[in-house]
Formats: sequence, structure tokens, C-alpha cells
Amino acid sequence: MNNEELVEYFRDQMRKDPDMASAVAAIRTLLEFLKRDKGETILGLRESLMSATDCLTGVDSSVAVSSGGELFLRFISLTSLEHQDLSRCKKVMEERGELFLEKISMSRTKVAKLCHTFIKDGAKILTHSYSRVVLRVLEKAAAEKKRFSVYVTESQPDAAGQHMAEALRKLNVPVTVVLDAAVGYVLEKVDLVIVGAEGVVESGGIINKIGTYQMALCSKAHNKPFYVVAESFKFVRLYPLNQQDVPEKFKYKADTLKTAKNLSEEHPIIDYTPPSLITLLFTDLGVLTPSAVSDELIKLYL
Amino acid sequence: MPGPYKETDLTERVEAFLSDLKRGGTGAGPLRGSAETARETTALLRKITAQARWGSAGDLMEIIRKEGRRMTAAQPSETTVGNMIRRVLKIIREEYARSRGSSEEADQESLHKLLTSGGLSEENFRQHFPPLKANVIEAINELLTELEGTTDNIAMQALEHIHSNEVIMTIGRSRTVEAFLKDAARKRKFHVIVAECAPFCQGHEMATNLSKAGIETTVITDAAIFAVMSRVNKVIIGTQTVLANGGLRAINGTHTLALAAKHHSTPLIVCAPMFKLSPQVRDYSKVRILSKVNVHCPVFDYVPPELITLFISNIGGHAPSYIYRLMSELYHPEDHEL
Repeated sequence: MNNEELVEYFRDQMRKDPDMASAVAAIRTLLEFLKRDKGETILGLRESLMSATDCLTGVDSSVAVSSGGELFLRFISLTSLEHQDLSRCKKVMEERGELFLEKISMSRTKVAKLCHTFIKDGAKILTHSYSRVVLRVLEKAAAEKKRFSVYVTESQPDAAGQHMAEALRKLNVPVTVVLDAAVGYVLEKVDLVIVGAEGVVESGGIINKIGTYQMALCSKAHNKPFYVVAESFKFVRLYPLNQQDVPEKFKYKADTLKTAKNLSEEHPIIDYTPPSLITLLFTDLGVLTPSAVSDELIKLYL
Repeated sequence: MPGPYKETDLTERVEAFLSDLKRGGTGAGPLRGSAETARETTALLRKITAQARWGSAGDLMEIIRKEGRRMTAAQPSETTVGNMIRRVLKIIREEYARSRGSSEEADQESLHKLLTSGGLSEENFRQHFPPLKANVIEAINELLTELEGTTDNIAMQALEHIHSNEVIMTIGRSRTVEAFLKDAARKRKFHVIVAECAPFCQGHEMATNLSKAGIETTVITDAAIFAVMSRVNKVIIGTQTVLANGGLRAINGTHTLALAAKHHSTPLIVCAPMFKLSPQVRDYSKVRILSKVNVHCPVFDYVPPELITLFISNIGGHAPSYIYRLMSELYHPEDHEL
């Protein structure tokens, strides 16, 4: 499977199911790559998988794709440790890969089940940009007959917040779109803040659409709980201490990275929110405090 | 017939316990402390294990869950009952896993498990193991021994934390803190300020007990907490429940105390045995109407984890951010909802 086929398959997966997380599409693509791979050694397999992941991050530079790829690589390493023979190993990998995909396709439902109890009747919720996980949580809360209203930030430069507002209107939830600059203004009316995450870093902080850090700072100042909902495959092995530490390859869209002459003139599309501003993280592994995240990552990568 | 006689004896015991719970009020009340409740619940669960009819671990867990739901419904504010039930359920799971020969590590949800597990394993606990009953009862006995030693284990750590000529502040009445302070008083001289904690004013009883032990004690009103805080070196309190996020559900007035301590950068130490750890994360404030005037008098306060410096439990000292870890060691995630 060469690079073009890879990219085509990936784009196809994203098109077929727009609701699917990009990390899941990446893992599906890599699994397909694995099935079609004609290599003879495990080392060769690893190398070709690594170059495949690089190729995919060239198409979609988000943190989630990178973390999905790394997780898949880890999955390969763990499995190859158990079986020395390549053909048996590949068979086991394919089975487990399918099982893994099945499990993570249920992760959004698990997260929604955990989180919706935190939305009380009559609550006013603030959220940022368009997140499918947050949408699922709000869907579940609405299905449980809770009455709540939502404020969504517009989230420039791509106005993704409008898309979120559309989806919420379809659920009959009263929604107001506010300017990104109006977060401080609207926070006194709000009871809680729920955001999604593109990546959850080792310190327990998150990487998400630009504007999230601002929202977290304002919620801390107003003493409002700041909740993050994310699936476990978004856990990534980064430990940024400030905004500069986040690698450049995540900060800008893939096309910008390839064509821009001077990156310092481009606007970053993500930012880093430190764990001290986050109250709780809702994942399919349970409700975690930010300090519990690094524990989970250690258990995986040890 | 020994069979039916045992059954009625058992149901009688359970009914008596339930009515006791309903009458008893909260753990901080005069009728019973939460340590007693924990011990009685565990003893009752041991009796149920010994006498009820069950074939496999799954049956026993079902029976205990059923009784557990009734017990927690009888007195929702007494969380130690639910905690002990979850401990016993975890014991049963562990003993079952040990009998089967598999490790208990496989139970915990983690990223690692997500990647390496062979199948969507649904453990249904249906296998029958004859020695399981004896093993479970032995483990419950160990749990009871642990429960009996909790106050002493906490009091033993007192000398590390209390120094001579210190001024300690506490609120209301906590048997754990009382033992803690009395133990330190054997070797150190220090002063204690007790906030009386209206409207039940349990602080008065605490002050009497402490002064009988030879500790210099002062009683203050709740309104004076902030004013006096600048003279205080440490705040040591007990609590009704420790929540999963490291927060507390404690007697009303504790949040005020915690905020005053934070403002003056005074360390806030919570003495709480492990059986008070509860998998709940949210704070359900309990409201009781005291008189014909519609006065809402909450019995409990929620104290967020940011205001707490240290938890002293029977297994040592921990930071609030570590509580989630202890939770996963004591209870199984599937038992969080009984």
C-alpha cells in the first residue's frame, strides 16, 4: 500500500463517517495498511508503519492523528513481544486491532454516560468550538429530559462554533453563539464549562482549539468548574510546560506547514491548557483528576 | 431445622440494623460514630456471607448488592455503609480471582488493557469454589481488624505533625481528631481552639473531653473563625466523607474554616480513616428544615480539594491529588453504583 493509497483510504474513512474521530480513522487506515503489508520482518513492519504515520500526519496535522498513530505503534510492539513468529503475530494483531477499534468506537458513549449526570436541571453551559464528544454528552443529557441552555463561542478562524450551534438547535437545545472575546462577559451567567480536547498531555493538561486556554483562565477567575471530555486514545506523550513547548507541527494546519515561508507570521490553531485550570476529565477510563492522567500513561508506556 | 431458623435470624438482624440506621441520624450525631457504623456493617456482611444461601461468587455479590441498596436507602447521608459494601464486593472479586488463578490486575480499565486484551471478557463469577466461603470470611475478618485499628493508627502519627507551643484549631466534634490530639498531648504542650459549630454545638463536648485530658482549650463561635485564624499554626479537622476528587463532605462550617485557613496560608490537615473514602465525586448537600420558619440549615459542607493540605489516614499521609489512586485500590469501578 503506497502513500497515495494510504491518503486516499484515510480521506475515504473521514468522508464515509464524518462523526468519526480523526484518530480512529487513522488507526483504521493503519490497520488496513497492516493487513496489506508484505513485509517479512517485524522491524520492517514497524518502520513501514512509522513512515505511514508520518504520511498521515502530513495530511492532517492534528494531535489526535499523531497520538492515534503512536498508540497503534505501541499496540504493535506489545503484541510482537508475545509472539515471535511473524505470520502468527500478524494474525493476532489483526484480530486485536479489530477488537480495539470496536472498543474505542464505544468510548464516546461511555464518556457521555459518565458526564451527563454532572449537568443539573436548569444549568447554563459554556462550550468552545465544535466537539463531537461534547455534542454526544449534551445529546445524552437532553435525552434524560434535562433542561439546560448552551453558550458556544464562535471560534474563529473557521467559525466552527456555528456548526456546533446548528447541531444543538436540531436537538431543541436553546443555544446562543457568542464572540470569542465575549467569554469573560458571559461567564457570570454560566454554571459550568465543558470542552473537548484534541489531545490530553502527560501532565493532565489538554491541547485544544485556540481560545480554550483563555476560557479556562476566565473560569478559574470566576470559580466555575472547567470539565474536559476526551476519549482515552487521545492521551499523548508530551509534557509541555508552556505554550512554546507545544511542537510546531501541531500548531498549524498541515497545508500551512508545507507552504508557509515564515511560520511566526501564521496564527496557531491550538493552545495548551495547564492541569491546574482543569477540574475533572471525563474519559472512557472513568472520571479522572488531572493527576490521574500521567498514571494511565505510565501504565501504558512502561 | 437449622436452615430456616438461620434465615429468619439473619433477616431479623438486617431489619434491626436498618431501623437503627434510620433512627441514628448522621455519623457525627450523638448516637453512633461512623467507625461503629462501619464495624457493624462489616460484621453484618460477614454474617450474611456465612448464613445466606449462595452457590457462586456471583450469587453472593447479588445478595450483598441487594442488601446494600436497602441499607444505603435507609440512611443516604451515612456513606460508610456503602463504602464497606463496596470493600466487601472487592474482597469477593479478589478471592474469586485468586481461586481461579488469574491476577486481579486484569480487572482495572486502562489504556494498556485496551490494547492487549484478547477478547471482550465478561466475567460472570459463576464458577463454584468450595473454599471461597472460608476465604471471603477470613478476608472480612482482616477488614474488621483493620477497622478496629484505624483510630489508633491515625493517633500514632500525631507527634510528627504537632509541635510544642503550637496553636491548633478544630471545628465541631470528631472522635478521630480527639484521639489524635490526646496522643500528642502525652508528650507535647500545645493550645487548642475549638469552633463550637452551631446549631448542635458539638464543639462544646469536644472542648470538655480535651480539657479533661489536660489540653488547654478555648471555645469560639463560628463567626470568630476568621478573626482568630491569624494566631493559628495549623487547622486539624475530621470529616464525614472523603470524595473521589480529594474534596470533603464535612460538618457545616468547615468550608468557612478552610477558606479562612487558605487566606492566612495555614495548613489544613484532615484526619480521616480509609473507610470514609467514597467513590462519589459530586457534593450532595443535605438540607434539613429545623423550625417552622423556612430556614434551610444544611448539615454538611463541601470543601474543594484545593483548600486541603494533607490527609492523614490509617495508612499514612497523602496529598489530595493522590486520593483517586487510593480509590482504585479500595474499590472496583463496577461497584461504584451499587
